[in-house]
Amino acid sequence: MLIFENIRLALSSIRANKMRSFLTMLGMIIGISSVIAIVSLGDTMRSVVANEYKNVGLGLAYMYINPPDDTYGDNTYFTTADAEKLKEAMGDDLAYVGFNQSLRKDMTVGRRTKTLYVSGLAENPTAMKNLKIIYGRMLSDKDFQEKRHHIVLQKETAEGFFGDANAVGKTVKVKLNEDQEEFLVVGVYENQDSALMKALQGGSMEFAYIPESLMVTEDSYNWSLYFVVSDVNQMDSMKSRVTAYMARMKNLQPEYIVMSSASEEMGMIDSMLGSLSAVVGAIAAISLVVGGIGIMNIMLVSVTERTREIGIRKALGARTRDILTQFLIEAAMISAAGGLIGTILGISVVAIGGMLFGITTVVKPQVIVIAVAFSAMVGLGFGLYPARKAAKADPVIALRYE
Amino acid sequence: MKEIIKIENLNKTYDTGAIQVHALRGINLTIHEGEYVAIMGQSGSGKSTLMNILGCMDRQFSGTYELDGISIAQQSENQLSAIRNQKIGFVFQAFQLIPRTSALKNVEIPMIYAGMKADARKAKAAALLEKVGLGQRIHHMPNELSGGQKQRVAIARALANDPAIILADEPTGNLDTKASYEIMEFFTNLNKEGATVVVVTHEEEIAAYTDRIIRFQDGQIISDKKVVKGSC
Repeated sequence: MLIFENIRLALSSIRANKMRSFLTMLGMIIGISSVIAIVSLGDTMRSVVANEYKNVGLGLAYMYINPPDDTYGDNTYFTTADAEKLKEAMGDDLAYVGFNQSLRKDMTVGRRTKTLYVSGLAENPTAMKNLKIIYGRMLSDKDFQEKRHHIVLQKETAEGFFGDANAVGKTVKVKLNEDQEEFLVVGVYENQDSALMKALQGGSMEFAYIPESLMVTEDSYNWSLYFVVSDVNQMDSMKSRVTAYMARMKNLQPEYIVMSSASEEMGMIDSMLGSLSAVVGAIAAISLVVGGIGIMNIMLVSVTERTREIGIRKALGARTRDILTQFLIEAAMISAAGGLIGTILGISVVAIGGMLFGITTVVKPQVIVIAVAFSAMVGLGFGLYPARKAAKADPVIALRYE
Repeated sequence: MKEIIKIENLNKTYDTGAIQVHALRGINLTIHEGEYVAIMGQSGSGKSTLMNILGCMDRQFSGTYELDGISIAQQSENQLSAIRNQKIGFVFQAFQLIPRTSALKNVEIPMIYAGMKADARKAKAAALLEKVGLGQRIHHMPNELSGGQKQRVAIARALANDPAIILADEPTGNLDTKASYEIMEFFTNLNKEGATVVVVTHEEEIAAYTDRIIRFQDGQIISDKKVVKGSC
């Protein structure tokens, strides 16, 4: 029998029992929409993380020294002299070398004091932090070399203290050590982190940037040293070059120098988020099985109700496989329609969520294809038993069924 | 005349586990093309069992049954479906129309299973409904039709694939007297046009429309007579 006739039959049967069909579909709708929403949430988080690292720069790496048996000494820390030497040795291959100091400090203007993060930036600061300056300028190499008390504020900080984002030329006091020191605002930047990233970082943290030479002095010992390579593709070779150089300089075995890069970290977070969303998605997929059992249940009821119709069709010449196809297509259509509605609902939920958080959401087409194909398969799988039951009916008995 | 139905030594036993019911005992019956036959008998006489076998819905029997030259016992399930579809036009006591499905669609069903193209079968279904006097009601649902009208839809459906034989199982059992006579006159006219018609009934008035009456009792044929038409 023609497949088109079966589709028409299935549609009229679904229409004849609207409420029942809808309730049956509901299982598939909930299952598919939650799978799509969860998997898309995972994919969105991954893309947000990837974007974040794109802002930071995948050329960023850091090292620390992990000596054997915890024998820490003078040669297991980094000093500003080490940083200078490394920079000289690597020349243009390193775009930035610094300690990436970031500390919670009190900032005061007049009588108002606020706690925020103060971060140090070394020479060539844009290689480390590509801030979107809206007023004034970024810190300069001279600011670093001459230890000028210059500061770049976040837009919100400037507005909070001065009522105006353009705070260039104003002064703020920062308690770096024991005493308050006066800083001249040379620039204001706008935070470009996504709402989701801000939420992940734990609310609205404000950052101010000053020359790192004011925070890290010549006599301080530092756990870790950061650098940015000029060519991201040379990351691996640069890592081994820096390791070898540092080991020689510090008189240490190279294996005691632990090196980690932003791309490695990103890869770790990415695979963690990936497996997390796969696991949660799999749990949500269980609801699809529940939905499938719902379809089987209602198809069994439908087959029993329509015993006489099956008998009539068989008497009029329907073959076993005609009846089988009729009921299978009906089950698959209920399931696929549920899958389609579920897909639309899932995408809508993701889109609305994305709008609320102000992020670009990621809904991969293959997720949709897999979800809808899976729902149709659930329909076929769970529809098979009722359809076989219908197809095997004896026309003599079925015609007499009341 | 061509033999449409040829039955030799047909036996049918229902095995219900505890007891065996011998429903048909050694039936011999031949019906030729163009005949108009009534099969009569009390309930339990075996006439319904015979009807199921004649209708190719039951092939669990011993003996031989040939329909239009085809030996039914040797056919597969799918072949039997095709034979029911092509050779037999069923008319049932309870009409057996598919609910929530228009008269036109009901008449189309045998043609759908025959693989007929949509346009052709729609046209033929409409023509058949016109022929049974329901040209104005082709889009009515079964629950919007009277008993007599339903049975006329069923007759139109029975004629859909130009069957070799029309099998009517108590076609007037659910109808009032007036509708019953209308339906029987319809069968009479079909027979005059050349159709082979077999009617199962327990009513003498209905059997009187036919040309040959076969009486059943306890699974056996007790009489097989040509009807002598009165001067009515």
